[in-house]
Amino acid sequence: MITFGEVAKRGRGWLPLIGFNALIGSGVTLALPTILGRSVDAIVAGSGYTRWLIVAAALIGLGIAASIVDAFAGAACVAETTAWLRHRLVRHVVRGGPEGTRDFETGDLVTRVSANATDAAQAGPAAVTAIAAIAPPVGSLVLLAIIDPWLAAAFFGGVLLVVLVLWTFAKRTADISLNYQETQGRIAALLSESLTGIRTITAAGTTEREEGRILGLLPELHRHGVVTWRILARSGAQAAVVGPLVLVAVLAVGGLQLVSGRITAGELFAASQYAVLGAGLGNLTGVLGELARAKAGVHRSAEVIAIESIPHGTLTIPAGPGQLSFDGVSVIADGNVLLDNVNLDLPGGVTVAVVGPSGAGKSVLAAVAARLRDPSTGQVSLDGVPLQAVSRHTLRSAVGCAFERPQLVGRTVGEAIDPHAVSPVRTLAAARATHAHDFVSRLPDGYFTSLRKAPMSGGERQRLGLARAWSARRLLVLDDATSSLDTATERQITRTLTEDRHHRTRLIVTHRPATAARADLVIWLDHGQIRAIAPHADLWHNPSYRDIFG
Amino acid sequence: MRRELSYGATALKKRATVKLIAWSVPEILPTAVYGIAVARATDSFLGGHAWQGIAWLGGLVATACLGSAGARQVYGRLGELVEPVRDDLVRRVVGGALRSGDDGAVARLNRQVEIVRDTFAGLVLVLRSFAVTLFGVLTGLLSLAPIVAAFVVPPFLVGFALSLAVLGMAADRVRASLTADEDLAASAGMVFGGVRDVTAAGTEEYAEWLVGQPIEAHASAERALAKVAALRTLCFAVGGWLPLLILLAAGPWLVGRGVSTGTLLGGLTYVLIGLQPALNTVMNALGDSGLRYVITLGRILDASTRVERPRRIDELKGYQVRLRGLTFAYGPKADPVLDKLELTIPEGEHLAVVGPSGIGKSTLAGLMCGMLRPTGGRLLLGGSPPTEVTVDRLARTRVLIPQEAYVFTGTVRDNLNYLLPDATDDQLEQAVHTVGAAKLIDQIGGLYAEVKPGELSAGEKQLIALVRAYLSPAPLVVLDEATCFLDPEAERQAEEAFAKRDGTLIVIAHRISSALRARRILVLDGNQATLGTHASLMRTSRLYRDLHGSWTPSAQIQPAS
Repeated sequence: MITFGEVAKRGRGWLPLIGFNALIGSGVTLALPTILGRSVDAIVAGSGYTRWLIVAAALIGLGIAASIVDAFAGAACVAETTAWLRHRLVRHVVRGGPEGTRDFETGDLVTRVSANATDAAQAGPAAVTAIAAIAPPVGSLVLLAIIDPWLAAAFFGGVLLVVLVLWTFAKRTADISLNYQETQGRIAALLSESLTGIRTITAAGTTEREEGRILGLLPELHRHGVVTWRILARSGAQAAVVGPLVLVAVLAVGGLQLVSGRITAGELFAASQYAVLGAGLGNLTGVLGELARAKAGVHRSAEVIAIESIPHGTLTIPAGPGQLSFDGVSVIADGNVLLDNVNLDLPGGVTVAVVGPSGAGKSVLAAVAARLRDPSTGQVSLDGVPLQAVSRHTLRSAVGCAFERPQLVGRTVGEAIDPHAVSPVRTLAAARATHAHDFVSRLPDGYFTSLRKAPMSGGERQRLGLARAWSARRLLVLDDATSSLDTATERQITRTLTEDRHHRTRLIVTHRPATAARADLVIWLDHGQIRAIAPHADLWHNPSYRDIFG
Repeated sequence: MRRELSYGATALKKRATVKLIAWSVPEILPTAVYGIAVARATDSFLGGHAWQGIAWLGGLVATACLGSAGARQVYGRLGELVEPVRDDLVRRVVGGALRSGDDGAVARLNRQVEIVRDTFAGLVLVLRSFAVTLFGVLTGLLSLAPIVAAFVVPPFLVGFALSLAVLGMAADRVRASLTADEDLAASAGMVFGGVRDVTAAGTEEYAEWLVGQPIEAHASAERALAKVAALRTLCFAVGGWLPLLILLAAGPWLVGRGVSTGTLLGGLTYVLIGLQPALNTVMNALGDSGLRYVITLGRILDASTRVERPRRIDELKGYQVRLRGLTFAYGPKADPVLDKLELTIPEGEHLAVVGPSGIGKSTLAGLMCGMLRPTGGRLLLGGSPPTEVTVDRLARTRVLIPQEAYVFTGTVRDNLNYLLPDATDDQLEQAVHTVGAAKLIDQIGGLYAEVKPGELSAGEKQLIALVRAYLSPAPLVVLDEATCFLDPEAERQAEEAFAKRDGTLIVIAHRISSALRARRILVLDGNQATLGTHASLMRTSRLYRDLHGSWTPSAQIQPAS
């Protein structure tokens, strides 16, 4: 877990500096009107002004120095804290694995790392500046009262006047910005609709017609847009009236005091400045808002930091054929039994197909075999060693897993297959074996083509996903990983698989009878339980087995 | 940067700008009168004329009301300037997206256009009020005592000029920061969307590094910006505080020359309440909104500026397709997808193209339809390269139905007569019937019912697209896996409808059954191609046999002939 204080403390080196400077800044802001007023009085009196001038100059110089340091320190502190927090968040997401991050949407996690982390990093500076920001307006009011209590009274009178004006002006603002956004959303929807048919549109030469169809909503957007400005105009007008009210009130009362000789001209000037500073009390809501945002950001980050990393053991796996065994494995999630007391003992080096109706637990079985999730009870072992006791490095070089919809991760196509490729030989071998090489070599920059710029079909992704898992030494888990391939390519890949020179154990979740037929053994799953383990030919006589394949 | 600024300047060439400036005059008044009112009021109070002082202050409130009326009009006129800019940007984004097919355009439409709208409005407002304040303060100072203006204005202008120079330094860093932010979102999206895959591949360190790169880039850009922020504060000191100090230092001398206490205070007021906030606002606006405006607008303009090659040929001799040494590669370094392909497709032919997925079948379709340009050899449609033929003539010669069927929100009729706008209802009904979409159209509610694309299955969309293509006046039909989501029976009916239609039919086959219906079959394998009939290919092509499903373990050991 992580707390507001922890994030704030991160800026340790910077915070005292920021705090110190903020204090100096507040002090200068408060002292300056008085000093300036005294200087003016001294000028009028014709004596002692040099002293006041020097004090004023020194004060201003100090203020400038403080704000320069503050500008730098604040930004640098936030930059460093943000980076620190972001690294931590990324680590927790990545190490949490598929189970740890199950409750989070990808987009939500991205927002937490990109936007919320920056908000959270403001914790330290925001807390410090919040304290310092209270000083000028509050101090101003105190000083105003010290110069003359009537001035403070005039100030509050002015504020009252402002509230009165705002209240009379206040009108209900329509949900106009909502209308605007809605129209905008409809235009975007029409555009994305057209983009889905971009090939049809380009071929038919109807680009301009489509343009007209989408932009038909533009006049409506324009109308809504104009109304938003009308609302802004109203509030702008209010601000212009209200702006000088407080100042005028203080100046009027101060002027009367000046006439009766109770304050000097310089003090009147100082009072007017304090009135302006005191009005800054309204800006405190902004400072508090920033604090609240920082707090929310910390909270959102804390939820990610709370994700527990997958624990790994330290053992290596002794030499062996890749013998996979399930010992009383059950998986229960949210009260649903996904796998129910599965016991398996698969000899090493065989091809095993996993079949069953959808929802039978095939993918769960595959995930447990590849340790992408842990059984609720029971144990999975590879060559006699429980997977949970194996070190992460050993585990991942022994077990590979390919998916129906692989998410490719990397800057380039080559990195998506193997980011650590010391030499391209291994990448190339994996790509050749999975028939990914054919299409990769036709991309503009081959294996160096940027993933973002290489739109791929489902079948092409699957082939890259297979290539990524190909280097596993003992166990290859394919979770419906060839479903989008055409029959010819699938056949070629299965041929490579069955002729596998590495004699790895292959666990293949499939919907195709041909794949099951070529496997040495078939695991027939139903409702999380094993219904049969036998060769395909033996099971084929059973009508309910044939029903699985439709 | 020049392009973005001139875009903004052009947008200001409007009557609304004149009105905006005209209405700024009453809005200036309070600012201009401020110092004078304070000066005169103070002098009145000092002279014991309390009511005279109060009257000056009352005048200030009165001008504030005038200013309020001005402000109201100013915002209204601002809308008249900004909304057309937004309209233009939306047009550009939509137009650019439809010509490039770039999916990112949808994000641009919502976010980037709004950023430009807001920042443009903000800049116009801030720059105008800066000019207004400067003008107001200047007139105020000059009417108070010109000599005070001489002390105040020059250092202020120097400070402003300096901060403009600093702005240039900041631009690259802001751009770096924005780019790093976008990179972060992109790579975080990639990694977080693939946590399962990262775990399975054991590439956690790499994934962390992948997201860590933009995090560090962002941090270093922000640190660099911190230095710029410090520099900006220094510029503010020159422009905002130096005039004040100069005025104070010159105070005794000014008073000696007959400048009143009130005037001196008025001068200080102008600096503190007029110039300082104005400088602060304009610097923040330029440093933040200004840079965001330039960068974001630049993105939109980049994405929407496309040069289209002129297409000159408008007459074709028939619709025979001839491929002579046709070669195509997606990049100069990439292996060719099609290599020296020779083929003639006479008018009236029924050809099926088969091969493994990703082998280049769709590329071939795109080339024949004039959507891709060959990188070598020649491809002639009706005697001319299709990429040189006008879009209109092409649309009347060939029709392409891609795998991803396009159905848009509108009536069934609008969707069906898309390629033949003046089709009669009878024509439509007949096409619907022949292609086998009658049941679907009934289900939707007839020709005049509204179609909601989201509620149709992929196969239903394909049926609509097929009817549409059937109605097209073009004699050459290219079905690019256009029936892949139909069941085999529906696929048969649709394909047979097209086969009976006059003209050429080229089917990029998804199922091998499409090949069986064709007169000739082209098998693509790697970058080799074999042409034949079903019977001849069963003998000569191992790939064709594989595709056909006749592969058996025993056949595997037969030598491929």
